[in-house]
Amino acid sequence: MGPPIIGISKEIERINDLIKHVADTGLNIVISGETGVGKEVVAQNLYQNSPRLGKPFVKVNCAALPEGLLESELYGYEKGAFTGAEQKKRGKFELANGGVLFLDEIGDMPLLLQSKLLHVLQSGEFAPLGSEKELKTDTWLIAATNHNLELEIKERKFREDLFYRLNIIKIHVPPLRERPEDIPHLIDYYITIYTSKFNNKHMLKPGSGVLQKLAKYHWPGNVRELQNVLKRVLVLGGWDEIIDELFISTPSPESPAAVDPLSLKSMASFGGGLLRRDDIQLDSFSLKEIRRQAVDRIEKEAISYILEKTGWNRSKASKILKISYKTLLYKIQDLNIQSTME
Amino acid sequence: MSKQYKMLIIDDSQVILGTYNKFFSKKNYLVTTATNGLDGLKQIESEKEGFDVVITDIVMPNISGVGIIAIVKKKYPDTPVIAITGWGEHPEILALEASADKVLEKPIDLIELDKIVVDLIEKKKNKKADSE
Ligand SMILES: Nc1ncnc2c1ncn2[C@@H]1O[C@H](COP(=O)(O)OP(=O)(O)OP(=O)(O)O)[C@@H](O)[C@H]1O
Ligand SMILES: [Mg+2]
Repeated sequence: MGPPIIGISKEIERINDLIKHVADTGLNIVISGETGVGKEVVAQNLYQNSPRLGKPFVKVNCAALPEGLLESELYGYEKGAFTGAEQKKRGKFELANGGVLFLDEIGDMPLLLQSKLLHVLQSGEFAPLGSEKELKTDTWLIAATNHNLELEIKERKFREDLFYRLNIIKIHVPPLRERPEDIPHLIDYYITIYTSKFNNKHMLKPGSGVLQKLAKYHWPGNVRELQNVLKRVLVLGGWDEIIDELFISTPSPESPAAVDPLSLKSMASFGGGLLRRDDIQLDSFSLKEIRRQAVDRIEKEAISYILEKTGWNRSKASKILKISYKTLLYKIQDLNIQSTME
Repeated sequence: MSKQYKMLIIDDSQVILGTYNKFFSKKNYLVTTATNGLDGLKQIESEKEGFDVVITDIVMPNISGVGIIAIVKKKYPDTPVIAITGWGEHPEILALEASADKVLEKPIDLIELDKIVVDLIEKKKNKKADSE
C-alpha cells in the first residue's frame, strides 16, 4: 500500500519509532503537518504495522465534500431517508469496521458534523441517516490535518472536546526544509521507483552541487514537490534547468501562499497567440469570444501554476486562488488542466 | 527497611519531574522519569514486573497522558495510575474513561499526592491478597 517512511533525520526516526510502539494500541491519532510532508504515508504505516492489517483501510477527505454529502458518506443512509435516496447506502464508518478510518483534512469538517463525530466517539455507536437502529463501530480513527487545530479551537472553528478525544496520540511531521538530510535518501528511493516504472529510462543522480542547492530550497510542496521535481528531471534528462526554475519562480519562503499574480512567469504570454492565428473564422469572431478565450487561457495558466507549486494539493490551491474547492475541481475539468508530471 | 516501590513519573516539564523525583526518592520510592509519552511507554515496556504506580501528566508530546493510562491499564489492569492535568485543560473525563484511579489538578500538593499513592498501593495489595 504506502511506501516506507524514508529518511534518516532524527524527526523521521522518531516517527518510525513512535509508529512501532503505538500501532497496536488502536488509540485515536492526529497527524499534523504541511501539505505533502507524508501524513498519509504515516497513516498507512500505522495500519501496516498494526494487527488491523488486512482489514479495510478507508479514507474520507473531509474537505472534498459539502456538509450533507460528507454526512451520508460517513454514516450512510437507509432507502428513502431523503428524496433521492433510492437505495440503501453503507457509510464509511460501517465499511471501516474492524479496520482503519482515515479522516483526511479533519480541520475542514463542518461544526455540525464535528458534533456528530464527537457523539459517535463517545458512544461507539452511530445510526445511518433515516435509521432508528444504532450500529456499533470498532474502527481505529486516524485523522490528518494541515491546519493548526489549536488555533482553530481559539477561533471556534474546531471543537475542543473533539480535539482532545482525537488527539490521544499526536504525530507531527515537520516540513522537508527542516530536515534536508532526508532529501538525498528520498531522491535515491524515488529514482529507483521511477526508473523502473518509466521503462528503466536512465536518470541522473544529482551531484553534490545540486544536492546543496536542493537542501537550501524551501520546498513549499514538501515531498510531493520533490517527487514532481524528480519526474521533471526524468523528462528533461538533467538537473540544471530545474534547479534554475526552483530558485527563480518560487514565492517567498515566509508565505508560500502569497503569490503575486503579476510575477507569474506565465503572464508574459498574456493574450499572445489568440490573435496570431491564420484560421480566424470571421463569422465567429467577436470581442466577447476573444475575451472568453483569453480569460480561460489566463485562468488555466494561473491555476496550473498554483497547482504545480502546491504539488497538486487542490485544497491548498483553492485557498491560494480564493475560490471554493468545488469551483477548483470544476475548473480543472472544464479547462482540461493536467499535471505535467503524472 | 521496607520494600521500595517502583514509581514511574511522566511529565514534559523537567522542572516538575525534578521536584517530584527529589520528593519521592527521599520517601523510599524507586523513581523512574520520562519527559514524553513515548519514552514513558518504553520504560513501561522494559520494566518486566511492572511499576507499582504510574503518575502522568495529560497534555504531552506524542502520546498523551490519556494514551498512557489506556496502555498501562490494558497491560497491567491493577497498576494504579494517577493523572495530572494542567491549568486550563479539561480532559479529566477522558482520563477517567481510560480508568485513571485518580485525576488531580495542578498545582500539586506533594504531601497530598504521597498520601494518595500510599493509599492506592495499599488497595492494590489488599485486592491481590483477597484474590489469593
Ligand atoms: N518520508 C517519506 N518517504 C517516502 N515517501 C514519502 C515520504 N513522505 C511523503 N512521501 C510521498 O510523498 C507524497 C505526498 O505524501 P502524502 O500524500 O502522505 O502527504 P500529505 O501530508 O498527506 O499531504 P496533503 O496534506 O497534501 O494531503 C506521497 O506520494 C508519499 O508517498
Ligand atoms: Mg494527504
